[in-house]
Amino acid sequence: MSTPAISQRAATATHRTIVRTHAGMAELVAYIVAGLATGAIYALAAIGFTLVWQTSQTINFAQGEYVMLPAILILAGVSFFGLPLWAAALLGGLVFVAVFGAGFKIAVVDPMIRHGVLPLAIATMALAIIMKEGAKDFFSSEAQTFPSPFPAGAVDILGVSLSMQHIAIIAVAFIAIGILQWFVSRTRTGRQMQATAQNPGVALILGIPVARMVMLTFAINAALAVLASVLVSPLYLAKFSNGEVIGLFAFIAAIVGGFNQVRGALGGGLIVGVVDSLAAAYISSSYRLAVPLALLVLIILIKPEGLFGRREERRI
Amino acid sequence: MTETILELDDVVGGYGRITILNGCSFKVRRGAITTVIGPNGAGKSTVFKAIFGLIRPSSGRIRFDGTDITGWSPRQLLEAGIVYVPQGRNLFPELSVRHNLELGTVAAGPGIRDVGARIERALDRFPILRQKADQQASTLSGGQQKQLEIMRGLLLDPRLILIDEPSIGLSPLLVQETFAILTELRDQGVTILMVEQNARSALQISDEGIVLELGRARMQGPADEILRDPRVGQLFLGGGLAEPAA
Repeated sequence: MSTPAISQRAATATHRTIVRTHAGMAELVAYIVAGLATGAIYALAAIGFTLVWQTSQTINFAQGEYVMLPAILILAGVSFFGLPLWAAALLGGLVFVAVFGAGFKIAVVDPMIRHGVLPLAIATMALAIIMKEGAKDFFSSEAQTFPSPFPAGAVDILGVSLSMQHIAIIAVAFIAIGILQWFVSRTRTGRQMQATAQNPGVALILGIPVARMVMLTFAINAALAVLASVLVSPLYLAKFSNGEVIGLFAFIAAIVGGFNQVRGALGGGLIVGVVDSLAAAYISSSYRLAVPLALLVLIILIKPEGLFGRREERRI
Repeated sequence: MTETILELDDVVGGYGRITILNGCSFKVRRGAITTVIGPNGAGKSTVFKAIFGLIRPSSGRIRFDGTDITGWSPRQLLEAGIVYVPQGRNLFPELSVRHNLELGTVAAGPGIRDVGARIERALDRFPILRQKADQQASTLSGGQQKQLEIMRGLLLDPRLILIDEPSIGLSPLLVQETFAILTELRDQGVTILMVEQNARSALQISDEGIVLELGRARMQGPADEILRDPRVGQLFLGGGLAEPAA
């Protein structure tokens, strides 16, 4: 499970951004911003994770691979079909949402959920392995550079030098989450989706198209994964094994946040990102994976419903 | 227009391999309150689930206004004019009172264009609903939540309401209030089919009664006759319903 290459690369990226800052506070701020940037990406994955859990009791253990694969598909579009990057991104994103949003629901979730939550969870683990090995065998086992959609360089804010890329990632992720929140709470369709998540039985007797709403959450999850992939791959490079760490962190973020709401997953993602960044900088980059895990254990012991969660009642 | 709005004809059904309804047949009179009573496990709630398309009968027919509705989806039944208010809490606690009502209009057909106005009228029906319109439904008391649920069920002007145990968990005063709403609806021409554990008070406001035992309708008749029938008392005291002499 260890991926020292990724950890070091990310740590180097972080170091690069703070190389010109002075010691102390400025350094701390830069580390926090770097942590918020990766945390916002974890949050995107964690939000998708909680959405599909809420509407269909699917624990998607392939969530990390969901964030890994779109970047690979985009690079494959460029190198195999000679597409320009923007076209490859568009096509890769659409193909991914169709196959790993709708297709996943039809081919994996629907047949497996009849046998229970656990068989389905195990099926998603198998899917994770297929996605990972598929990316390795059909594309590359090497880490590939992925172009950043944002300008490089640093901006100086109150004497602290911050990476433009980090700030742009935070902004894009927050805008996406804001749009999602607006959709879920301010539109009729979004409220039907919430109703389906809160109580599918009642949603059904009111004539809400429950199956369509569940399908919609799977499509949203896949779309969030595409966005997370495009944001994270310039930092971590695109590699078949990226999903391991990202999936673990998204999972921790979802649990820390309470597992049952968008707000919680967002908070959880940011906390995990910052804790990870600070642990890499101030403790040791070789122990960085252990720190979010320790946070997870701590939360489960002290506040099992998560920092922002509510206790869940489920009718059987 | 015939007297009968809903008819069950020899309905057999249950959950998976467990059969609950064993050839259940009865008729529901248009514009009346009909209460289904019976001991626990007689299949009272299952009858509603079969009518509302939540379980598919393995045999038998269900007709609504002369149309065979066996196996229709809840959405189709809502559009046909049937609503179902199940027992227990059936709101979305984290959504506002107003949005809970809005979700009751999802199945509105093209004929209903004034959804917004209907929601406002429903809010005005009870001062507390208007007052808490934009607060979470979970801030309402149990009785208020039931009232909201009934109001939500009425938004699409149903012709038949299936209401399961409306009195459960309510104080005697609120039970009276809820029953008053039902009689008022009946007077406006809505047909009500109700399941009640609280058999005596339910039959007192009902026009018709149906006694269900072991998944079959064993008696059907005017509510006051059912109420006076000594065999009904016996049934509720645990003894089986005596077979009528051949």
